[in-house]
Amino acid sequence: MSDTDLVASVRVLRDEVLDTAEHGGREPPGAEVFDAVLRALTVGGESVPGLDQVLHDAVARRLAWGDGEEVVLADAEAVFDRLMFAVERAFRDPADQMVVIEAATLVAVTVARVVSLAAVARAARDRAARLREEMAQRQLQEVLEKQQATIAHLEAELKRGFR
Amino acid sequence: MSGSGLRIAGDTHVGKVRSANEDALIVEPRLGLYAVLDGMGGANAGDVASQMARDAIREHVQQRRGALPPRKLLEAAIQAGSKTVYTGAQADRERHGMGTTVVACLVVDGTHLVVGHVGDSRAYLLRRGRLQALTRDHTIVEELVDRGLLSAEDAERHPYKNVLSRNLGSRPQTRVELAELELAAGDRILLCSDGLYGYASTEAIQYVLGSGDDPDQVCRDLIELALRGGGGDNVSTIVIETPQAPPTSTQVVRTTGASAWWQRRQRFLAVAKERGLTRSPMVRGLDPKEALELIALSLCQAVYHDLEKSTGVNVWTFAQNLAGGWFERGGGWAAVRGLIDILGMSAHAVVDEVRAADAKLGFLLDVAVSRALVVAELALGGLLAERLRQVDTDLIELQTLNEALEAPADELAETGERFVERPTIPFLQPERPVTNPGVSSEVLDGIHKTLTIARARTSPRGELVKQVLVALDAIASESGGSFATAVLSARELYGVRSVDDAGVQPLFDALDQARILTASSVHQLPASELTRARVLRAISTAHQRLVGATTGLVLEAVAPLSERLRGVQARTGELRDRVARAEQRRADLERRSATIVDPSLPWGARGTTEW
Repeated sequence: MSDTDLVASVRVLRDEVLDTAEHGGREPPGAEVFDAVLRALTVGGESVPGLDQVLHDAVARRLAWGDGEEVVLADAEAVFDRLMFAVERAFRDPADQMVVIEAATLVAVTVARVVSLAAVARAARDRAARLREEMAQRQLQEVLEKQQATIAHLEAELKRGFR
Repeated sequence: MSGSGLRIAGDTHVGKVRSANEDALIVEPRLGLYAVLDGMGGANAGDVASQMARDAIREHVQQRRGALPPRKLLEAAIQAGSKTVYTGAQADRERHGMGTTVVACLVVDGTHLVVGHVGDSRAYLLRRGRLQALTRDHTIVEELVDRGLLSAEDAERHPYKNVLSRNLGSRPQTRVELAELELAAGDRILLCSDGLYGYASTEAIQYVLGSGDDPDQVCRDLIELALRGGGGDNVSTIVIETPQAPPTSTQVVRTTGASAWWQRRQRFLAVAKERGLTRSPMVRGLDPKEALELIALSLCQAVYHDLEKSTGVNVWTFAQNLAGGWFERGGGWAAVRGLIDILGMSAHAVVDEVRAADAKLGFLLDVAVSRALVVAELALGGLLAERLRQVDTDLIELQTLNEALEAPADELAETGERFVERPTIPFLQPERPVTNPGVSSEVLDGIHKTLTIARARTSPRGELVKQVLVALDAIASESGGSFATAVLSARELYGVRSVDDAGVQPLFDALDQARILTASSVHQLPASELTRARVLRAISTAHQRLVGATTGLVLEAVAPLSERLRGVQARTGELRDRVARAEQRRADLERRSATIVDPSLPWGARGTTEW
């Protein structure tokens, strides 16, 4: 099967792989993974230029909408599993099956890398934020100590004044 | 490029993640001045800082050369760089806080070297194949370790690991650390930014620097190394090489022997085939041509590279991988011995043929081949010793188990301490053969073969990739890519890693490399297309489980950091509340204080506002 036909044939599996009957056809969970598989098939080769970036954007969007990293991963795994079953049933030629399996594996590894790096980046931001918080705490502590000294002084003065 | 007989090269790369290159280089053979600077600071000020310091250092050395001794000159030049960056930062609000690291060296008369550095850019010396650091990073953590306040292990995980304790630009003056060195023939000096050593292991840097390639190629290879390791930062390298000493007679013998050997590799392959290499049980299932390439040609390459670089590491690795992989699959010693004998006899047959035609060349070749075979035997000896130790441990465990089983039941009940795990449920028996109800034995066999081919194709330095391939074998052999096995394998792979790009990237690079190797190896499987597709599907499912489990571990490692942040934020909130309350109390007291009548004052009251 030619590359174009193969992509078209995989596109037909969208509803089955993304389980749109359950989730609706608009933005079913894992749609970004399926689209990435189509992109990988269209471009072809061991590695697909720009795939990291596309998945990074898609994952970042999902995280921004409040999905956790674990949810993104679980969706990717579900899409991968359903795609494996659908491919075995839908393609008679083993060579075609292998092309789709290779693309799906590439996308699975890339999604995992993107999610991991997003988590690591978040950790780096958290570390930096913690440092800032700790610095702020030191400053607040200093302010508090000065305030307490002033309060003690004023209280003593007031006592003297009333006497 | 050259100066004083030195060979010099420098190169820089923006990396895979950053959009701008904030590194700067000085390569001035005329002045004997070389430096790598790594800028930092927001609003695109990092590159400005490194360029300002670069220009100031160069200009200072140019103007004061001859007026100051080299050590003083370099220190003053770096101080001038610091002052320039500081002034620039103060003059422009947007550039406030910019700074740069520097590692610079002055080569005097081609024989003497002065190295000065501030920050975490590094200088290394490669002498007689050994790599040593000439600089010590100026980070908060390093300084804590130096003062004995932090252990080296804790330093690796410390949050301030990458926070610099000094740089050029934060103050008008900085403390420059200086070192001096007498250069020897064949020395290689490497100056680099953290974009190199942060993304490439020291072993890999040593390997590339000691490769014998010219400095231009070494610079390019080092940058490539960092990019393959993730390329998360700008990467810059300068390599300075002193002239080589004239080759010794031993080196001449080795080099000529290596060339003679490499020229006769096809003959060696043919003799090895005649002597039965392709019938060895160790290559059963492989195409004869492929078996010859995998075993005999790999040995040829290993021998050649070892002779060229006067090491034995390639043959050693070859022998260990060959036998190690075979033992892992349950193979016996006899097959390994037989294969090594075939290779040895074939090599000596080629040597004899050459000796008959040219006695001198025959001698050189004999030196080359004998040396390699001794290394191979030693490597196998090491492996055998390891196996014997394992057998000892297993026997001791078995003996302990037998003693426990033979002990009377009431004795066990009395002590109540010795618990013996008896196989009571059939599928929990440890000696149960690995079977996969969902996958045929043909596919299982295909999985093992594919992953064996992939392992054989892995470069000797790709230890992590090999681990991934072993893990895939274990997971794919389970039914449907067992998730439990995937988690266990991922834990082994993950080991102890820092939760940052440098810790995580190599892991995912190895997983990706294993994917590529598997996909290409499955096409070499001697099986029908349908079987290959099934094998690929099983391995890909295993791969997906493994990357999922690995990512799960990364998320698990990251979670405590977020938790800790939330804890610290809560504490800051409490402190803010306390400060607000104290402020209210202070204001209240001040108001009350201002209304107290002071009879000593003529106007009868003190304070300002209330009066």
